[in-house]
Amino acid sequence: MKSALITGITGQDGSYLAEILLAKGYRVYGLVRRSSSLARNRIDHLQRMSASSGERHHGVLQLVYGDMNDGASLRHIVDEARPDEVYNLAGQSHVRVSFDVPEHTADIDALGTLRLLEALRETKLDVRFYQASSSELFGARDALPLNESSPFRPRSPYAVAKLFAYWTTVNYRESYGMYAVNGILFNHESPRRGENFVTRKITLGAASIKLGIQSKLVLGNLDAKRDWGYARDYMEAAWLMLQQPAPDDYVVATGESHSIKDFLSEAFGCLDLDWQQYVETDARYMRPAEVETVIGDATKARRVLGWQPRTSFRELVRMMVDHDLGQLRKEVGSSLLHPEKLV
Amino acid sequence: MAKRALITGITGQDGSFLTELLLDKGYEVYGVIRRSSSFNTDRIDHLYQDPHEPDTRLRLVYGDLNDSSSLNTILRQIKPDEIYNLGAQSHVRVSFDVPEYTGEVTGLGCVRLLEALREVGIQPKFYQASSSELYGKVLEVPQTENTPFYPRSPYGCAKAYAYYITVNYRESYDLFACNGILFNHESERRGETFVSRKITRAATRIKLGLQNKLYLGNLDAQRDWGYAKDYVEAMWMMMQAEEPDDYVIATGEAHSVREFLDESFSLVDLDWKEYVEEDPRYYRPAEVDLLLGDASKAKRVLGWERKVSFKNLVRIMIDHDLKLAQQELAMQEVATSALASKARWGAS
Repeated sequence: MKSALITGITGQDGSYLAEILLAKGYRVYGLVRRSSSLARNRIDHLQRMSASSGERHHGVLQLVYGDMNDGASLRHIVDEARPDEVYNLAGQSHVRVSFDVPEHTADIDALGTLRLLEALRETKLDVRFYQASSSELFGARDALPLNESSPFRPRSPYAVAKLFAYWTTVNYRESYGMYAVNGILFNHESPRRGENFVTRKITLGAASIKLGIQSKLVLGNLDAKRDWGYARDYMEAAWLMLQQPAPDDYVVATGESHSIKDFLSEAFGCLDLDWQQYVETDARYMRPAEVETVIGDATKARRVLGWQPRTSFRELVRMMVDHDLGQLRKEVGSSLLHPEKLV
Repeated sequence: MAKRALITGITGQDGSFLTELLLDKGYEVYGVIRRSSSFNTDRIDHLYQDPHEPDTRLRLVYGDLNDSSSLNTILRQIKPDEIYNLGAQSHVRVSFDVPEYTGEVTGLGCVRLLEALREVGIQPKFYQASSSELYGKVLEVPQTENTPFYPRSPYGCAKAYAYYITVNYRESYDLFACNGILFNHESERRGETFVSRKITRAATRIKLGLQNKLYLGNLDAQRDWGYAKDYVEAMWMMMQAEEPDDYVIATGEAHSVREFLDESFSLVDLDWKEYVEEDPRYYRPAEVDLLLGDASKAKRVLGWERKVSFKNLVRIMIDHDLKLAQQELAMQEVATSALASKARWGAS
């Protein structure tokens, strides 16, 4: 049985990747931080299945306490899991918030990666390492679409920290011969996307407006254009990157870009609403330095990994809207039974 | 009123030259030093005055780039007009041994300082000591401000972080922040574990019979070596420009470690091939290629040019180290004769 360690398992990508690996029969170790409020809703279903010998997958999921801030905990986990594959998805992943907590962002996203790579180097295990790099590395660019050779121009504390982690990963590959890769993932969304990311804010907002729970939606820059894919498709690419004869870095993207306005019109359209009646903009949500347009070119991933996105933009938006509508209906239903929950 | 400058890394080679330059220009200079049980202020001892003197213009304050609160306190108290962030774990090979510490101080130290500025609410000019190590596995020769980076060491990665976060604070918060991308710069104050100084120390000590061998890493590595004193002048010039920007500072000439050996040993009439051995322990896990800088932007915009040639640089270092070696020899002779006389006394 292959063993994999996932940092950031409680996040959007971590939960999809855990599903994929469990379905392939891996023993999956997930790193979780101690917190007085449990934040594991994205993997609760996997823990339940794992406990009751699920039908859909054969793997085993085990959560271990640790922190990207704590090198000793990382060494301990690596010793325990003796992983064949390590997926480093943990990070303070919110770009705008990184302007509020730049030092923390660098400590976790950049130094956290370095601590993990050092822990792996010390154990001398034959391990494959995946680093969750980001299209934010490229920043604003005139020449689009962006591929693996496009120059980096990070424009936020998040992006600068991610660049540190990117180079550190390349450095460990070249200096120590480690199988270490960067997946440079463009935006990837899903019904599990954090609720303060713009796509999820929109689909939740649209569904809330549809159900009469909310009357307007306040957003930042509506003209920013992004290359949005489905997170689950992207985690397939992450896995593929660790199954190759040689380690390399790959851009993962759809190759299409859509503006926030496009996303709004698609999402509200699914619910037969006109977004322009409900959306307001607020400069507080603007980033101090904004990246206008982002499009990725995943030709290399298509050619070498045989990967391609399976979910279209429309399908993605609909999936998210349907999910949020369903979830809100359940909540509204339960609050009708329990009116005190509305307070 | 005199301008106030704050220097991190003031006890280092560049910090000490910069302090001299700024004091000459009438600045009040504040230096951040780390607490350590062994004093490490040799390079600035000649500049230091009793802080109780009313006209003291150089003051040292305790702090650490690892410690945000100390940076906050220092900035709140001093409110500098110019900040020069030279503090770092600055040794490339050593960064492979202490990568996390290097990331903490060389990388995150810079964002801690920038955040402290924002918190304290002051808008001083900010200089970040960036490095030609950013180019690492070079993507073009010579390297300019537009050459993409490819750092090849934990030190290079941490410096790339500091470079970009400096640009980010300039763009996001309208801070007057500059990166000086300095190519190798040496001097008689260079740390003794750096190859240039290792060579000049060894050549002069071998000359006086204090040492027999010199072990070095890759002799074919080529570097663009300038004189540190010229380079700190460029730092100051960047801070006086109309607009904040990033500049390459270099000589535009590359010389190999072999050439440095040739030049150094011939100044003391020795043939280095008889004394030098290569030791793979000093190889870097990933070596950088031809670092050769093109400083035409600094020349055009700042009017900066280096004054000291490669030959003169080596001569300055050899002259200085020869004196050091002579002192060492004299000390040894004193000690030996003391021992000898002690032995005589003991025998009688």
